[in-house]
Amino acid sequence: MLAVSDAAEANRRGAPRVDPVGTWRCVVYGHPSLGDERRLFRFGDDGSVATAPAVETARSWVPLASWQADKHAFTFNDPRTGRRFEADLRRKTLGGTWRTASLLGGWWCDAIADDGALAEGEAIRAVAPMPPLIPERMATPYYPRQAIREAKQGRVVTCFFVDAEGLIVNPQIVELSDEVFRAPTLEALERSRYRSWTAGVESRPGCRSFIYRLDAANSDSSN
Amino acid sequence: MARSLIVGLAVCLMTGPGWAQNLNAPDNRTVLGADEFLSAGADAIRMGRYDDGIRLTQIGLSRAPRHGDRAAALSNLCAAHAAKGEADIAIDYCTESLELNARNWRAYSNRSYAYYLKGMYPEARSDLDSAEALAPDARQVAAIKGLINEQVLQPRVIMEDHQ
Repeated sequence: MLAVSDAAEANRRGAPRVDPVGTWRCVVYGHPSLGDERRLFRFGDDGSVATAPAVETARSWVPLASWQADKHAFTFNDPRTGRRFEADLRRKTLGGTWRTASLLGGWWCDAIADDGALAEGEAIRAVAPMPPLIPERMATPYYPRQAIREAKQGRVVTCFFVDAEGLIVNPQIVELSDEVFRAPTLEALERSRYRSWTAGVESRPGCRSFIYRLDAANSDSSN
Repeated sequence: MARSLIVGLAVCLMTGPGWAQNLNAPDNRTVLGADEFLSAGADAIRMGRYDDGIRLTQIGLSRAPRHGDRAAALSNLCAAHAAKGEADIAIDYCTESLELNARNWRAYSNRSYAYYLKGMYPEARSDLDSAEALAPDARQVAAIKGLINEQVLQPRVIMEDHQ
């Protein structure tokens, strides 16, 4: 049984739970033309932010604009891309949305230990690897009958961790266009899994979008 | 069970003040007028006794009801026949009702249901649009719309991993 939390639950909890300071391994997703990215983010207790691609060839951190925290709202900007990142610190992990003037996307992170004794490039390469998520079973959600009756379409984005066994852990609803799609989405995730891996990574973040669509079926009038 | 629920939602019965008479009150008339039969017919249809309702309504119609009552009675006959699955007969009665009163949303709704039974979904949608324009909050309209959507809409879910 998957333990699920989402923004509503976070609101019920009240106080911030995530300390953003540290190094994070993240998935950044959004507009199809941009593709998905694996990135490392490092947030300093002095407000500094740096990023590096989560690849073994990365050599150095790139500084970004300082991060800000106001109660549970966490934000920082990436001047290179014009993206403003936002997160709700009441979640169990770091993640949320990013936006530009015309685009919107999301990000989801896993906290990792950062060995400060290593040289910068070595430290990055030590934490960068993220095993690819290869679906072993990608369960399709059912389309709620009530949604068909009401001609409802929608989108759900869930983010989660995948452990080394390929199991989906701690899924959270990041975007939900209509409550009717929550249950089938979570039920499908519960039936899904990825291929396991043997590399020394205990878990990694991932996200999955579900787009619910209704097409006009071919139907002729019959007497 | 499901069919009776559908019928219960789709059948829109016309009743008016003229049909709300207390049949137990003293009455010095020796001949029952159209109103009593139409009222009894509406009650029977509402209770699911469609054959009785059709028979009583037909008697009421034969006794020269007022114009408005005639339109309502025809709509009720449409509803009863639709409830029995007799879509062609239902459509004819609803059409006749609408010729007398084109603002009768119930007749549009009932005829829409009859078209749905025949699989004539564009026609059903058209009548439903007319019913909804006249009565936007009618539950029967929403229910029939749902039935049609289940037939004409093909669901699919597109999934994409982000990693």
